[in-house]
Amino acid sequence: MKLSANFGYLGAGLTLLAAALAPFSLYGLFTKGFSSLGLRVSETYSGGPLVRTIQSAGYTIGIHQRVSPNMLQREKAFVQLDWKPASALPAHVSDRVDIDGDGKPDVNVRFDVPKDPKASLSVNVESLDPLYEDMRNVGKEKFSALIVRVDNAILVRVPLAQ
Amino acid sequence: MASKFPPAKESRSIGRSFVLTIPIAIWSALMFTAYAHANRSQWIASLITVVFEVVLFFMMVRTRSTYRWRRWFFVALGLLFPVGFIHEVISMRGTMGIPIEEMIAGRTPFCFIPIPLLILPAALTKMLVFPGSILPNGGMSGGGMAAMAGIWLAVTIVVGKGWCSYACFFGGIEEGVASVPPRARVRKIDPRWRYGPWAVFLAMVLLSLALFEPAYCMWLCPFKAVSEYVAARNTVGVVQNGIFVVLFAGLVIALPLLTKKRTQCAFFCPFGAFQSIFNKTSVFDVRIDKSRCTPCVLCQKSCPTLSLTEESIASGKTLMSCMKCGACVDACPRDAAVWHIRGTEVSAKPERARLMFLYAAWAMAIMFGGGIIAEGLATMLHIFV
Repeated sequence: MKLSANFGYLGAGLTLLAAALAPFSLYGLFTKGFSSLGLRVSETYSGGPLVRTIQSAGYTIGIHQRVSPNMLQREKAFVQLDWKPASALPAHVSDRVDIDGDGKPDVNVRFDVPKDPKASLSVNVESLDPLYEDMRNVGKEKFSALIVRVDNAILVRVPLAQ
Repeated sequence: MASKFPPAKESRSIGRSFVLTIPIAIWSALMFTAYAHANRSQWIASLITVVFEVVLFFMMVRTRSTYRWRRWFFVALGLLFPVGFIHEVISMRGTMGIPIEEMIAGRTPFCFIPIPLLILPAALTKMLVFPGSILPNGGMSGGGMAAMAGIWLAVTIVVGKGWCSYACFFGGIEEGVASVPPRARVRKIDPRWRYGPWAVFLAMVLLSLALFEPAYCMWLCPFKAVSEYVAARNTVGVVQNGIFVVLFAGLVIALPLLTKKRTQCAFFCPFGAFQSIFNKTSVFDVRIDKSRCTPCVLCQKSCPTLSLTEESIASGKTLMSCMKCGACVDACPRDAAVWHIRGTEVSAKPERARLMFLYAAWAMAIMFGGGIIAEGLATMLHIFV
């Protein structure tokens, strides 16, 4: 038998071995390998890392790092604010939030918290700093300007003025 | 002239076929423990699935025919995946539309198709442009992007482009549709359509990088129509969903009915184009034994993805888009289209090459598709029985 044929059968044998190992070790190994690459989900979806938390009466407001669009992305730059736990929020929330931590409020955020967690939400944001955009009765049309309930938190994304 | 060759596809004895099926029966039983859960309908569905997988393999061994038996598995996979999946999403969310909340929470189920679209953005920014989860506990089934990437890589190492014939849970739909009409109404297809998947692949890779979103999933995936779609929050969402439905109706239903080809796979699927690259790394392929070929081009006519041309037949090879479904091998009346292990002579023991490939491919099909078939069956049992 030619050497190349021997290599061919060796390859076929190794392929069969790989098939036998796939569910028991290969799959897990590749999954762990992928996880260890240090990749993150795009911040347009995840909202970016949490940088600061403001304590309020019975709830907290989480402030995320500013998220900027990449290349030709259709979304604007935004900052995500999390109110949680949603169960501890009053029926109407109106908070002046200091986003950049300079001691001055940057936006005034107002929204109602319906008792039904599946009810639709809408938010009004009054910009107190020209860096941020106003929002009037905004729901969840865009990733960069929205209010949504995720598990036991209410997330508001405030777009930045271009 | 024909009498010079042994009759095509002479059956193997029942006893020998039975012995050769034992490894797959053991494998199926092992996988059965993975997807048979406490629920009675799941247990019954799993048992039916195991019997189905083993009987099909037995028939492939006994009849020496691959395509017609593999097709049963593949069509079942294609038809039962939406049943189980849609039932699961509707049970969890009440709709097939993915709400923006689920995307932000990283709970969008991740299928294999966007894998090639994520590579460039990930390489340049270390970010994955998909609203799912990387680690387990993301997605709906407890597996995130890492799990799907792990399965894809393991299966790809084993079968290469064979993924498209043994593991893809969408391809079975069009293969099933294509098998309905007795003959093709449209027989002449411009061979340049074969470049379609590469064009879509290139466009989608660049668009995904530029728009920083999984462009194919957002705009062009026909299978959104039978799995889940972007919840129509605005006019753009309505347009996206309209495109999904039109592409599904055209590429997965109408064109396969007219051409008897897997048109979405052959002319459109960017993942299929990407997967073709792994045909170059796979040790198994399909060759044409030129000493036996007349050529009658029956193999070319039978190929569901136009992976054989007169030139490729003359050179004794399939094109790199060949997904190793075995249609050409089954169609050849002179056993000239053969399974082959790279490095060996084309005429050297093609049945041995076929069996080695089938053990590997069927093991992967059972590992990945078996659970999906069982889940779809369990859903049907749960709903209707």
